[in-house]
Amino acid sequence: MVNPPFTRHTTEETMNESRTDTAPLVSTAAAEVVDAVMRIEDVDVYYGDFLAVKDVDLQFARHEITALIGPSGCGKSTVMRCLNRMNDLIPSARVEGKVYFNDRNIYDPDVDPVEVRRRVGMVFQRPNPFPKSIYENVAWGARINGFKGKRGEMDDLVERALTQAALWDEVKDKLHESGYSLSGGQQQRLCIARALAPDPEVLLMDEPASALDPIATLRIEELMLTLKEQYTIIIVTHNMQQAGRVSDRTAFFSVDVDERGQRTGKLVEFDFTDKLFTSPSEKETEDYITGRFG
Amino acid sequence: MPEIRTAFHQELEDIERTLLGVADQAEQMVGKAVEAFTKGRLDLADEVIAADESIDQTYLDVHNRWMNLMARQQPLAGDLRLMSMLLHMNTTLERMGDQSVNIAKLTHASDGLPRVETIVERIEEMGDLVRAMIRTGIEAVVRRDADEARLLPAMDEPVDRLNRDMYQEVVRASDDPRRLEWATKAMMVSRALERVGDQVVDIGEQLVFLLTGERVEFDEVGLGGLPHGE
Repeated sequence: MVNPPFTRHTTEETMNESRTDTAPLVSTAAAEVVDAVMRIEDVDVYYGDFLAVKDVDLQFARHEITALIGPSGCGKSTVMRCLNRMNDLIPSARVEGKVYFNDRNIYDPDVDPVEVRRRVGMVFQRPNPFPKSIYENVAWGARINGFKGKRGEMDDLVERALTQAALWDEVKDKLHESGYSLSGGQQQRLCIARALAPDPEVLLMDEPASALDPIATLRIEELMLTLKEQYTIIIVTHNMQQAGRVSDRTAFFSVDVDERGQRTGKLVEFDFTDKLFTSPSEKETEDYITGRFG
Repeated sequence: MPEIRTAFHQELEDIERTLLGVADQAEQMVGKAVEAFTKGRLDLADEVIAADESIDQTYLDVHNRWMNLMARQQPLAGDLRLMSMLLHMNTTLERMGDQSVNIAKLTHASDGLPRVETIVERIEEMGDLVRAMIRTGIEAVVRRDADEARLLPAMDEPVDRLNRDMYQEVVRASDDPRRLEWATKAMMVSRALERVGDQVVDIGEQLVFLLTGERVEFDEVGLGGLPHGE
């Protein structure tokens, strides 16, 4: 398995580190992250000449769930896509600033974006299994990232990923049926299993439950709370109650509109979710989460 | 900035208006109960007992509306803190009504007993002080004025002192069993008024939380004398 240029940190190792080079954050004195898996420093994202999101400093705590919330166009998904270089896939996109994964800037020229995406997995809004069997969906996730184990090892890996995704018991007797035979909620958990197969350290979830019914949504949320013991999770959600139910910390993004009507996303406030949802420091956050923002 | 949760915020305002009305009622009930006890007016005592039924009904009504808002609107931030204050106020005001009823019942229980004038004066003074506290509490809430709320523990201090000293007054009345019996009832009235004072201080603390997001316990910062329950 490929390891460098990223070194997986154990909790014990990182607890002994004292980080003094962290950039100041926005309204977040109380929420300073000591053990950050990922850090965004002074990041601006452009699409061509258009500045989509500006000046973001943000840190993601290990084994926590961080929610990114805010109105449409605030840049929260754009920021998330910087974390595994998904923006590289958009030709006009340009990321300025630094995005650290375990102290390595993932935008350094010698970093392989495919390796970044192996270590920082992603689950999308709509369940998108491949038109293959349940087994092959998960195995693909491992193979695409260089897994070359024997058949038995692959069986173990598929079982582990499906178990972690809380799907194993429901599919163990029909592993070779199509992924499409599953319900929407099961398909999304299959996609989570696929993302977990390469053994990532961070899981990005872009509105992972917005296409699911309430029960399937709650199952995904429960799953996230279990998964954070092994992974670090970052979720973009429009559903503030969902952010409240699952996240440890929340980053609130908003939009500045200039005189020409150009809209640029910005980070307004980052704090513990308890604090941000009961006593936010910024009026803009208060206005948004209490519905006084149109 | 456009308001987009108009119905929710109107219902919040409406619940608050209802509770401020109950606070007015509670202030009048305390006044009436004190007058009933100090003057031996059973008719006023009965009025207080009857008025409490409407406070109890409003309490249940507000609680239902509060539960509906919580279930349907999931308030956050300032709205959530306001919800917290309203729930607290609802309970506190209902209890103020109950304390007035206690005083009214003590009026009946002490009917025909000889009153002790020095104690009557003290109870009247406590009643005036507590009513002033309720008025101050209402104004602080209406004006969203944390500074005014912070006056409440200082206003409560003489109420606490009068209540503590009541014991000595009762001992002084112990030469006559019937005067003593009345004085013992008066001590319970004093205790009820002291509780009302503490309850107003609690509302002040809730208001400061609403306005600042900070939890304060006025007594613990040395502003209000002895701890609650003394």
